[in-house]
Amino acid sequence: MATLKSAGGPSVGVFDAGRFTAKLYSHRDHILVLIALLAIWHGLSLLLGVYWVGTPWGVAVRLYSGLLSGELLRHASYTFSEAMIGFVIGGIPAAILPFLLRRQPILTAILDPFMVGGYGSPKLALAPLFILWFGIGIESKIALVAFTVFFIVYFATQTGVRTLDPKLVQMAQVAGASESYVARHIIFPGAVPHIFTGFRIAMPYSIGGAVVAELISANRGLGYMIQLRSMNFDTTGVFVALTAVCIIVFITNWIVNFVEKRLLRWRPPSDVTAQKE
Amino acid sequence: MSVLLEVRDLAKRFATRAGREPSPWIIQGLSFSVNEGEFLTIIGPSGGGKTTLLNMIAQIDAASGGEIRFQSQLAPINDMKSLKPGLNCQIGYVTQEDNLLPWRTCLENVLFPLLVQGKLNDETRARAQTLIRAVGLAGWEDHYPHELSGGMRKRTSLIRTLVYDPPVILMDEPFGALDAQTRLQLQDDLMRLWNLGKKTIVFVTHDISEAIALGDRTLVLTRQPSSVAGEHRITIPRPRDIRGILTHPEFIELYQRIRAQVQ
Ligand SMILES: Nc1ncnc2c1ncn2[C@@H]1O[C@H](COP(=O)(O)OP(=O)(O)OP(=O)(O)O)[C@@H](O)[C@H]1O
Ligand SMILES: [Mg+2]
Repeated sequence: MATLKSAGGPSVGVFDAGRFTAKLYSHRDHILVLIALLAIWHGLSLLLGVYWVGTPWGVAVRLYSGLLSGELLRHASYTFSEAMIGFVIGGIPAAILPFLLRRQPILTAILDPFMVGGYGSPKLALAPLFILWFGIGIESKIALVAFTVFFIVYFATQTGVRTLDPKLVQMAQVAGASESYVARHIIFPGAVPHIFTGFRIAMPYSIGGAVVAELISANRGLGYMIQLRSMNFDTTGVFVALTAVCIIVFITNWIVNFVEKRLLRWRPPSDVTAQKE
Repeated sequence: MSVLLEVRDLAKRFATRAGREPSPWIIQGLSFSVNEGEFLTIIGPSGGGKTTLLNMIAQIDAASGGEIRFQSQLAPINDMKSLKPGLNCQIGYVTQEDNLLPWRTCLENVLFPLLVQGKLNDETRARAQTLIRAVGLAGWEDHYPHELSGGMRKRTSLIRTLVYDPPVILMDEPFGALDAQTRLQLQDDLMRLWNLGKKTIVFVTHDISEAIALGDRTLVLTRQPSSVAGEHRITIPRPRDIRGILTHPEFIELYQRIRAQVQ
């Protein structure tokens, strides 16, 4: 699509100035808000002292040097892998289980209070337990992330399975579809948007879960970095780690949205931003 | 002609919801039969239970009492679990709502039953293309349902059933949402198709003219709880000219009689 567009346009080159400004223009509001936030931050640092809140510029410099030395990337990739492995271990079964439980109302009813409990349990309070059970290595972080992600995706998928129009199922049955055919070709595609809603909500939680577990006990990762630096009263350093967390969240969110858009091309655009493209 | 489908003393009420009045009888004491190769049209007031009746014949819903016999096989009563929707593809059902799969394109929706039944081949594909052209959907094959108009979706759902050629077809107001021109065209096409294959069709409509123009026999249903208010044999010779039929003397007479019966 993109190549077609630029080929038809007036400027075809390595750097398409028109496209770039158009893109910049479409993000104008984001940039304005970002600048405003940075200005407020800078103002606060003047007001309260650099010692307490750091400065945007100081954080940028440290971020850069952290990237150059490779230290930041090492910790970030550690946190990132915990989050992703946990996401897969928790998310995939959670996206499958509601389909298996679809025809088991009794089992679903038995499980339900436990699912609600697991969904509502404070994950911060669970982190020490997981560390007790799985040690201070990567396993306990993955376990916490998987636990967090599981319930979010489970309930989102369950909603998808339950809200599907039964008339579509009947239509397929009249056309001769078996139970398993209906599950694979009607219920599943109908639930995919809900599964992705679950994924999109769970993704930042998976990063957050990994960081929280590292905060409590770890010798690597962004959470560990935050913990260590705050003990040393290195406010700027804490902000650097937090910024890295935010960047990872942005990237993973973008990936989920990208895959979702690819898989759900059949959906009508539901909001204004989607129509802009 | 042999009786293919027999409905006797049929009764239906839906389950009462907690905290509500006991639910009313939607259908009570409804009896009729359909011969093999017959085109039966059914007319009745809105909310009278026509869709409910077709659902029970197609076995996606269970009757509460009475009998539904298809090729001398009884449908289960009050037992959702042992229903056999579509009776192994012997009964096709064009539902009142289009019920298209939103994640499949127009063409993929039309091909869906063939895919399910493992009958997708060059021949059936060609048949699907013919039907798509016949209902004026050529050029729209790759559009998703939300990109089609209500009438186009209706036409898609119509040919989705025609494409696998079930011996019996139930149709619930298939031409309701269409303009007069397209409607006439599709009525013509349906007539031709029926003349060719001698299918059995049970066709629900609100439109008295349509009921007379298409049918061998018209059944008029009463208000809820619905039963048969009247039955009219239509002997206007075939092939009929759908456009010219409105002035046929038998048509005019039937129209008056049926209108007096429709409440
Ligand atoms: N699933 C259901 N649960 C409870 N009541 C229902 C259900 N489906 C239909 N009804 C009731 O059954 C009655 C008949 O409905 P039905 O859809 O069969 O009418 P209809 O004759 O097809 O009407 P229309 O011509 O408007 O399509 C209505 O009063 C409706 O409220
Ligand atoms: Mg109806």
